[in-house]
Amino acid sequence: MQRRTARMLTAGAMALTAALTLSACGSGFSGSGSGDATGSAGKLTSSDEDLTVLIGSSGDAETAAVKSAAAAWSKSSGTGVSVQPANNLDQQLAQGFASGKPADVFYVSTSALTGYASNGSLLAYGDDLSNKGDFYPTLTKSFTVDDQLYCAPKDFSTLALFINTKDWKAAGLTDSDVPTTWDQLASVAQKLTQDGRVGLTMSPQYERLGAFMAQAGGALTNADQTKATVDSAANVTALDYVKGLLQDGSTKFSSDLGESWGGDAFGKDKAAMTVEGNWLTGAMSSSYPGVDYKVVQLPKGPKGAGTLQFTNCWGIAKDSPNQKAALDFVEKMTSTTQQLSFAKAFGVMPSVESAASKWKQEYPQYAAFLDEADSAHGVPNKAGTADVIADFDSKLGSLQSTDTKTLLEGVQKNMAAALKG
Amino acid sequence: MPDLRAATVTQAPGPGRRPRRLTPRSIALLVVGIAIAVVYLLPFYVAIVNAFKTDQDASLHPLALPTTWTAAAFGSLFQNSDFGIWTMNSVIVAVFVTLGRIFFDSLAGYALARLRFRGRQTVFAALVAVMAVPGVVLLIPKFLVINQLGMYDSYSGMIVPLLVDAAGVFIMKNFFQSIPVSVEEQAKIDGAGTFRTFWSIVLPMARPAVVTITILSFQASWNELPHFIVSSSSPGLTTLAKGVASLASGALSAGNQYPVKLAAAFVMTIPVAVAFFVFQKRIMNSSDGAVKE
Amino acid sequence: MSRKNRAEAVSGWLFTAPTIIVLGLFLAVPVLMAAWVSLSDWHGVGSPFSSDVSFVGGQNYAKILGGGGLDEQNFGTALRNNLWYVVFVVPLQTAVALGLALLVNGRALRGRGFFRTAFYFPSVTSSVAITVLWLFLFSSTGAVNKIISWVGVNGPNWFNEPTGLFHLGAGNPPAVLADHTLLGISWWEWLAGPSVAMTAFILLAVFTTSGTFMLLFLAALQNLSPDIDEAAMIDGAGAWTRFWRITLPQLRPTLFTVLTLGLIGTWQIFDQIYTGTKGAPANTTLTPAYLSYTSAFQSQQWGVGAAIAFILFGIIVVFTLLQRWALRERSVSRRRMRWIEKGSVR
Repeated sequence: MQRRTARMLTAGAMALTAALTLSACGSGFSGSGSGDATGSAGKLTSSDEDLTVLIGSSGDAETAAVKSAAAAWSKSSGTGVSVQPANNLDQQLAQGFASGKPADVFYVSTSALTGYASNGSLLAYGDDLSNKGDFYPTLTKSFTVDDQLYCAPKDFSTLALFINTKDWKAAGLTDSDVPTTWDQLASVAQKLTQDGRVGLTMSPQYERLGAFMAQAGGALTNADQTKATVDSAANVTALDYVKGLLQDGSTKFSSDLGESWGGDAFGKDKAAMTVEGNWLTGAMSSSYPGVDYKVVQLPKGPKGAGTLQFTNCWGIAKDSPNQKAALDFVEKMTSTTQQLSFAKAFGVMPSVESAASKWKQEYPQYAAFLDEADSAHGVPNKAGTADVIADFDSKLGSLQSTDTKTLLEGVQKNMAAALKG
Repeated sequence: MPDLRAATVTQAPGPGRRPRRLTPRSIALLVVGIAIAVVYLLPFYVAIVNAFKTDQDASLHPLALPTTWTAAAFGSLFQNSDFGIWTMNSVIVAVFVTLGRIFFDSLAGYALARLRFRGRQTVFAALVAVMAVPGVVLLIPKFLVINQLGMYDSYSGMIVPLLVDAAGVFIMKNFFQSIPVSVEEQAKIDGAGTFRTFWSIVLPMARPAVVTITILSFQASWNELPHFIVSSSSPGLTTLAKGVASLASGALSAGNQYPVKLAAAFVMTIPVAVAFFVFQKRIMNSSDGAVKE
Repeated sequence: MSRKNRAEAVSGWLFTAPTIIVLGLFLAVPVLMAAWVSLSDWHGVGSPFSSDVSFVGGQNYAKILGGGGLDEQNFGTALRNNLWYVVFVVPLQTAVALGLALLVNGRALRGRGFFRTAFYFPSVTSSVAITVLWLFLFSSTGAVNKIISWVGVNGPNWFNEPTGLFHLGAGNPPAVLADHTLLGISWWEWLAGPSVAMTAFILLAVFTTSGTFMLLFLAALQNLSPDIDEAAMIDGAGAWTRFWRITLPQLRPTLFTVLTLGLIGTWQIFDQIYTGTKGAPANTTLTPAYLSYTSAFQSQQWGVGAAIAFILFGIIVVFTLLQRWALRERSVSRRRMRWIEKGSVR
């Protein structure tokens, strides 16, 4: 009897020790922060903990750039930093918030902002930013909820038209043929459809086709996001135009070309032109360095110029034990010099006005992006609209065989429901 | 009047007698068998062959052998991704889960088979009921429980929930019931305690079932995906299944790098395949024990 | 003596304790917790049992089953996709498994061991690895399209083609089907069948599960005594009759098991969707299990996600019970009895 008990106890003790050891060495940062973790209104928490930064990277270029910037900051500030590119940013953030151990700093998209702000996951540090006044007002507006600026915009991008210069010349086109109207775009795309490639490609998403909607004077919602305007005549015109291009055979969606986004289709020369944003420049130099291309403004539609603008911000978790260091980190990342070097690494545009002229000087070939900023529309960011847009995206893949009005009416219904509730 | 068809039966009745000659029937069956086997094995051939091609070669000629054999995909896999970490995590988890399941499943199986205690029937009924709950339904709630227990994003959160599986307990129980009681009676007469009887006498006799549990547990923990999605999120705790899944959705930026993805799938399958080939007979006979009806 | 009994009882409880704890904590308790979350408005921050989380009754369920919004539409789509998947996969995998078992069991086949291994091997591989493989095989310029081009057929862009199988080549929907909806999806959409992309997943399922079920059938076939079969042969029954009247009825228990396991498995498809298409194209590979996951982890709608999981649980139970009822041992009808007595087995 004694031996059995003893053996059981030993086995139990071993198992217990093993379990404890595993949980101790397995969990990321142990969260037992020292220092004054007050977190009371107005005061930021501070500790000796390393910062974890979770980013939704657009590619290797961005990951490398953020990592090296973080390392430099870490050296000068004395606080450790670990940058993690997320496989699935939304999922990992959700799990982090639910478990009470989120990353300290992370990307927040305009669509995710309202959700996180309303359930108390984010620290509204906008007023504590030393460079608050430097950001473009349109950008800070996207990240303001209930008159509180929640986070600092990290950069922004607009959509423009990328043209493969070799294919352009091969089709006998010159600089004067750069399309400035919808009709010109259609004919140029036709001319470029040869040698086994199509003239134009883009990802089948609202985040691309929305540019055409803007050029026709349409949008998904009205200016203050209270009414859904998805099935407006302008939007029907825009989608019918794209549908026409698809039916001509001069345009194909990237999915139909077997690629996951327009950038890959363009880089692999499956298409001579694509509608993409700044981030493509970084991907081109790292993945397709041999392709010569130029960037021009998107053509004007019936109601003039229009494009979409995309921006993310640096969110700081309310549960972070080291908000002070996080704020310092964000301020460094959004500083003029740092943003210019990010721009160099992966092609985005600085979110601070002080960097604008320098940027234009250094990258005259990308001037189109910044010029378009005046006519750029943001993506709706009210709670629930992201799901509606995702659903819209899933339907756009079959645009060629769908009736435009019916498609838009379906999305209108969902958008109206989302804006209401 | 007897049907003349009976007279044309060429095979001798009785089990175990293999025909020595190649009858037309056996040739036909062989052809059918080979055709189906080709369909079943072709995907693996394609995977292996394309893992050694360049990206373009793989896209253009998916069925042919590589024009030039290159291990670039494997190099890229090991250098540009955390494949090493994923493998290490999968190994850690698989080892602990397998050991745990062998120990706990056989303990519980023995108790349910041999030990008389009040509530035994209830525990058994609960076990059967638990087997009926579909796994995926538990995805969200398991995350919630792991979270509440503070085990989220740690090895314990990944391993502990998998330490016992109802099916394994079932297999062990069935097996123990087939062992004659006389052996244990002898041990009891000699004065051995319950645990001693179990550990030193009965368990060694259950080797076939233990081997079955070992293989099934290893396979299950190596290939498991949903549980690791919800129980951890740090890159340092990613297992092979989760890592290869992230590769498949294009986590290595320039998408459609098929050779890299195929190389990952190939390397990931090797341990399970090896275990399978070594223990084939055991695995393919375990179904005898598992069929309950 | 009672001291021995008590010692045995204590051992019994101690031995089963780990099992009870682990299974209870990670299987039983989660179900209860999820039930609470599905009836509450928890948003994913902090504990679901904290005081700011309130009971909202069937609100989450109402959102999915009615409500006219995106939640209902997505749930209806997911349900439709999974239903077609089940309808195609379960009979197919059962038939293929049985066929393979008969093939491998037949004494006339040489090298049965090799064939058994070949057919079973796909079942041991990970679903993630096979999905990666499938994405490559079924890409628009992949091996499958190459092979079927040898017979002159132009293969579709499998994983990007959202058209339902029954809609291929169909024109515009008749108004009666297009205008009426169930769970946000028109009847025309319900009857579309699995999309081409989903069909690729159906083939994947048959590929990976037929081996396991083949083994179950094999074990059962090998347990059959050959006497009955020989008696039927002597009575003059042909091979087909022998199969239907003699072999198959004796396989009923195994058939039961295979169908039940098949139903339970197919309603839970998740890994392949997560690794492969994530619901695309046009939401035709969205399944309730995956929708439950994305609602919770990506859209932060934990109550809706939990509600979907429970509805899925209910569906599985219903289908399993339905299948048990359909395959129950029925007492022989009077007409059949008279026929048997007359002595013809044909």
